[in-house]
Amino acid sequence: MIERWSIRQRALERYLVLALLCLFTTAWVTPLAIVALSSMKTPREQSQSAILALPENAAMILDNIASASELAGIGNGLLSSLLYAFVGSVTAVIAASSAAYSIAMLKIRFPFFWFLIIYSGTIFPFQMYLMPLFGMYQEVGLYDTRIGMLLFYSAIAVPFCIFVFRNYFIGLQGEVIEAASLDGASSFQTYMRIVLPMAKPAALFLFVTQFSWIWNDFLFGQVLAKSDDVRPVMTSLAMLSGTYGKGSIPQQMAGALTASIPTLILFFALQKHFMQGIILNTAGE
Amino acid sequence: MQAGGLPDTNQVSTDPLRNEVPVTALAEASVDAPTRAHALLRKAEPYLYLLPALLLVGGLLLYSVAHTFAISFTDWDLITPPRFAGLQNYIDAIRDPTFTRSFSNTLIWTGGSLLLPVAGGLLLAVVLERIPGQRVLKTLIYLPAILSTTVVAAIWSYVYTNNGVLNETLRWVGLDALARPWLVFAPTNTLAMIVAASWRALGPSMVLFLVGLQTIPPELIEAAKIDGAGERILFWRIKLPLLRPITAIVVIMSVIGSFMTFDLVWVMTQGGPGRSSETLAVTMYRQAFIMWRMGYAGAVAVILSSIVIAFSIFYLRATLKRSAL
Repeated sequence: MIERWSIRQRALERYLVLALLCLFTTAWVTPLAIVALSSMKTPREQSQSAILALPENAAMILDNIASASELAGIGNGLLSSLLYAFVGSVTAVIAASSAAYSIAMLKIRFPFFWFLIIYSGTIFPFQMYLMPLFGMYQEVGLYDTRIGMLLFYSAIAVPFCIFVFRNYFIGLQGEVIEAASLDGASSFQTYMRIVLPMAKPAALFLFVTQFSWIWNDFLFGQVLAKSDDVRPVMTSLAMLSGTYGKGSIPQQMAGALTASIPTLILFFALQKHFMQGIILNTAGE
Repeated sequence: MQAGGLPDTNQVSTDPLRNEVPVTALAEASVDAPTRAHALLRKAEPYLYLLPALLLVGGLLLYSVAHTFAISFTDWDLITPPRFAGLQNYIDAIRDPTFTRSFSNTLIWTGGSLLLPVAGGLLLAVVLERIPGQRVLKTLIYLPAILSTTVVAAIWSYVYTNNGVLNETLRWVGLDALARPWLVFAPTNTLAMIVAASWRALGPSMVLFLVGLQTIPPELIEAAKIDGAGERILFWRIKLPLLRPITAIVVIMSVIGSFMTFDLVWVMTQGGPGRSSETLAVTMYRQAFIMWRMGYAGAVAVILSSIVIAFSIFYLRATLKRSAL
C-alpha cells in the first residue's frame, strides 16, 4: 500500500517539476517574443496596445528597419560586420593553424614558450588594449578604416584558435608524420595537404565561434571606428538603444532582431558546434 | 608531452618531416654561398609559420598591454606629451570615491553572477537532467546566450523603462506598488542589470553542469539509491563533490566575466545616472575616452587586470592541466 502510494506521489512530483520547468522556460523566452512583436508595430501602436498584442501590420518591421538604418546606419553596420566576422575569423584560423602546426609538429626551439606568448593574448581584459590601439590607429591612419578593424578582429581571435589547434595537432601527430614520411612531402606540402584537411572539424568549430564573437562585439567598434561605413552593427545598435538611445522602441527592437539573425541562423544550423564550443571554451579539451 | 620538446642539435637528423635534411648536410660540406643561404632558410622555415600569428598578437595585443602599463605611470591627455607621474594615478584612484563605488559595484556584479548564473545553472541542470524533453528546454534556455550583449541590453532597456514590459506587467497583475524606475536608483539599477546579464549567462553554465553530471557513473547513483539516499543526500554528498572540477571552472569564469562587465552597463545606463552604476571597466572607458585622462584610465585598467589575471592563473592551471593529457 505505502509502496504504491509513494510511487504515485513520485510520478505526481515529476509532472509538477516538468510543469514548473515549462512555465519557467516560457517566461524565459518571452522577451524574444516581445522583441519580434514590438518590431512590427508603429511607435504609437506600441505605446497604446498591450505588450503581447499582435501587430496590426507585420510589414511595419520593414519600415522600422529602414528608419533604424537611417538613424544609426544599421544597414551599413550589417554589411561591415559580415565582412569583419567572415574575413577576421578566416584570417585568424589560418594564422593560428599554421603557428600551431609549427609549435606542435615542426622542430623549433622552445615550442611551449612560443605557444604561451601567443596564447597569453586571452588573459588580459580588453581595457588593456583600448588606449594604445586608439592612439596607434590614429597615428598610422588605421582609425575608422575597414582594414584597421579587420586587423584587430583577426588578432583578437588568434589566441583562442591557437589553443584549440595545438591540442588538436598534438592528438594528430603520429598519423600525420607517418602519412608525410610515406609521401616524402615538404613541410609546406604536409601543412596544406595533410594537416589542414585533417584539422577541418577544429577549423569549422573555430570559424563559427570566432565569427559570432566578432559579430557580437560592441566595444572595439565603439573605440576604433566612428563613421556609418566602418562601424560594426552592434555599435550602431547601441546608438539606438538604452537610456541614452535615440531610437523609438519599435526601431530598437527591429534593429536588435535584424542584428541577431546571422548568429541565430548559425546557431540552429550548427547547434552541435556551438554547444561543443562552450565546453571547449572552458574545459579546453 | 609536446612535439619538438628538445632542440635539435644534430644537423643530420632522421626527422621524417624533413626528408631533404641530407641535402642540407651536403650543402654545408661544399662551401657554396647560395646553398648556404638555402640551408639557413631551411632552418628558419619552421619559424615562418609562427610569424603571422606572432605579428598580429604581438603587434596589436601584447604591445598594447605593455603600453597601457606604461601610460598608467604618466599624466596624459592625448594632446600634450605624457609626463611621468609615478604612482600618482594609483593613489588618486584609491582616494577617489567614484572609484570606490565602481569597485563595490563590480563586487556586487561578482556576487550576483555567482548567485544567478552559477547557482541557478547548477540547480537547473540537476532538475533538467532527469526530465523527458530535456533537449528542447535546454535549447530554449540556452537561446539568449547566442545574442550579443548589446542586443540583450537593448531588450532589457525596454523591459525596464517606465512604461516598459516589467512595470506594465506589474500594473496588469495589480502590483502597482512594485512598479518603479528600475535603472535610476542605486543599487536597484545594478541589480536590475545583473538580472539582464544572467538571462544571457545562465544557459552556458547550465550546459556545462549538465556535461559534468553526465560524467558521473550511473552505478554510483544507483548504489547510493539502494543504500536509501534521497535526492537531497544524492545532491550534496555525491553529485556536488563529483562536479567540483566543472564547478571550479564555471565559478572562475563567472568571476572573471563579472570583473570585465562593460557592454551591458554602457549601453543600458552609461554607468549613470550620476555614475551610480559604473563598474571598473566602465570607469576606465569614461576616464579614457570621455574625460581624456589616459594615465588615470591606465591605472584603473592595470588594477582591473591584476585581479582578472590572478583568477586567470587558477583557470589556466585547470585548463592547461587538462590539455596536457
